Amino acid sequence: MLTGGWRGGSGAPRILIVDDDPNLLVLLADQLKGDGFEIQTARDGQEALRRLQSGWPDLLILDMMMARMDGLSLAREIKARADLPIIVLSAIDTADSKAEILEEVAEDYVTKPYHYPELRARVLRVLRRLGDKVPRQSLVLGPDLTLELHHRTAIVGGTPVQLTPTESRLLYALAANLGSTVSTETLLDRGWADTDDADPSYVWVTMRRLRQKIERNPDRPAHVVTVRGVGYRLVGDGVDAPAGQ
Amino acid sequence: MTRPAVAEPEASKDAGGKQPFRLRLTLAFIYAAVFPLAAFGVFVLTQITPGGPAVTIAPALLFAIAAAAIVGVILALYLAADLTAPLRRIAAAVESVSRGDLSTRIEVGGDDELARLADSHNRLAGDLERRNRELRRILSAIEKASPGLGVDRLADMAGEDARAAFDMIDAVVLLVDPREIPTEERVPGEPRSVRALLHVGEDVLGVLVGRLPATDTWEQADQDLLEVFAAEIAVAIRNAELFERVEAQNAQLVELDAAKDDFLRGVSHNLQTPLTSIRAYADQLGTDRPDRRLAIIAEQSDRLSRMVRQLLTVSRLESGALKPRSEVLALGPHVRRTWEAFGQTDAAFEVDDHAEGWLAVADPDQLDQVLWALLDNAVKYGAGAAVHVSIESDPAARVVRLTIADDGPGIPVEDVDRLFQRFERGAADGHSQGTGLGLYVSRELTRAMGGDLVLAPGNDAAAPTRAAFTVSLPGEPGEEG
Repeated sequence: MLTGGWRGGSGAPRILIVDDDPNLLVLLADQLKGDGFEIQTARDGQEALRRLQSGWPDLLILDMMMARMDGLSLAREIKARADLPIIVLSAIDTADSKAEILEEVAEDYVTKPYHYPELRARVLRVLRRLGDKVPRQSLVLGPDLTLELHHRTAIVGGTPVQLTPTESRLLYALAANLGSTVSTETLLDRGWADTDDADPSYVWVTMRRLRQKIERNPDRPAHVVTVRGVGYRLVGDGVDAPAGQ
Repeated sequence: MTRPAVAEPEASKDAGGKQPFRLRLTLAFIYAAVFPLAAFGVFVLTQITPGGPAVTIAPALLFAIAAAAIVGVILALYLAADLTAPLRRIAAAVESVSRGDLSTRIEVGGDDELARLADSHNRLAGDLERRNRELRRILSAIEKASPGLGVDRLADMAGEDARAAFDMIDAVVLLVDPREIPTEERVPGEPRSVRALLHVGEDVLGVLVGRLPATDTWEQADQDLLEVFAAEIAVAIRNAELFERVEAQNAQLVELDAAKDDFLRGVSHNLQTPLTSIRAYADQLGTDRPDRRLAIIAEQSDRLSRMVRQLLTVSRLESGALKPRSEVLALGPHVRRTWEAFGQTDAAFEVDDHAEGWLAVADPDQLDQVLWALLDNAVKYGAGAAVHVSIESDPAARVVRLTIADDGPGIPVEDVDRLFQRFERGAADGHSQGTGLGLYVSRELTRAMGGDLVLAPGNDAAAPTRAAFTVSLPGEPGEEG
């Protein structure tokens, strides 16, 4: 079930791990290096920022509770500069109100003590979307729908609606290919790590729930369009949706 | 509004007999005018009749008498009407006032008894009107005295309302012992000081003191009204005090709760950090060189960190800080993977998946806690017996249900009712493993996710109930569309 390490082309992805526990830092660096990633480590936020001066990694793995500069401040500072994907690795679980704030800036969240295969699966899932580029600011799809994916929010008829991490990942993949069809397979790949036991029905149901949130009429979707048997396409107003393909 | 400071006795009037006052007055005038004249006429007639020569005078005299009498009656009628007119006006005004039109006044000129009567009436109506106005003002003041305004604001408002309602020069509510405020002697020509205690039952909260213009009257009725007002304001202030106290306690509780949460978060972090290393190193070593002992280290450190997490979850459930997110997931693979996390256990495990493509809507991390706790119980209390999982979808209710049952001895009757309470452990085996929070946390978590956790009811009231726990969660059909 596990897909092992990095098998992509063109050089190993670089990951910066920021954690104030040296034991964990050494171990996790070892584990990820063993799977073919290029690893840098930092003990706190300041050190992380110094490391960033000599080049940006592809991914940041970040502890939330650190002595000098907490994970949230660091994540915000980094996100203000660039769309660097962040995976939070924290002893505080995702249902915590503080985690919720951090989730706004983080791509994914792994609770300590982590299960390495799961962490690796999530790292790979995040890296899969590196080619996808969507605007840093809001994406206006029509008078009644604006996406702010970096805040995990959709503005529906003027009202902000919170998206779940998975919903925003799927929308991110669709938005990166605005107007063209994205296959269910790709969406599955972008939305879930391979430890999530996901199958295409995960995509279908999540899309249906997403439409309930953002479509004016979920039964006649105007923005998230099904291309039956193939996948989905995100369209803005004024963009015609040709049938099929 | 100023009032003349005249205090005169009210004019008293005879109630009168059966006839109307006006008729009696007319008759009195007639008696007074006609009888002497008639007596004189009779006297003259008796004097002149015997002589004879003056007989012709008699009819003329009688005519004169009759004419005088008629003129007298007319005059008397006119006079009586003139005299009673003010009385009728007074009657009409009193009637109007008693019907509720307090603004009616009587205009009576002169300085006689009737004028004084009218004046008394006017003052009575004026007083009534003024008290009505005072009453309305203090009622509206009482109405707006909401405890949420706070003690100081209420006291300020009450002072201002009392001043406006009673036409005082100034008025203030002092929340001090009234004995600290000396009573002023009244000096004629100086503003007059009035006061009323703010008390709730026996408890005196303060005093309302005000000054009236020297020309104003202050009667017992005014004092009574002021005291009623002060008593009502006292109640409002007492409520505001209680309100403030409750608010302060609430704020303190919220603060304590946040501190507790921070503390638990810190403790959790400090416990999880070494556990993370222990677990990860054991895993890594075990991957390099499989060893049962390393697996036990990994599993036990996992168990420990789950207990820590459970404590943190309880705290968050209580403070309402726990916000599960809704993702879709298939229950079958999820429960299998949770079982795998147990690693070695001798118990048999089987999953009967009839979900037919239905997915649950749940927070994967929180669901993992629930399933882990239920499976842990099944292993712990099932005494090595097989663990059965069955999954069903209920399309009509849009719910999916997952039942975890074990073939162990079941749950003793006396334990069934308190199973889901905090810090409850199965009594039968005296097990002291675990926090006693598993079922409580699991039920609260499933409820937070829009579902529920129940124990399947037993068939026999006396026999132990089979340990079969059903988690129900919102479900969605796994169809394309």
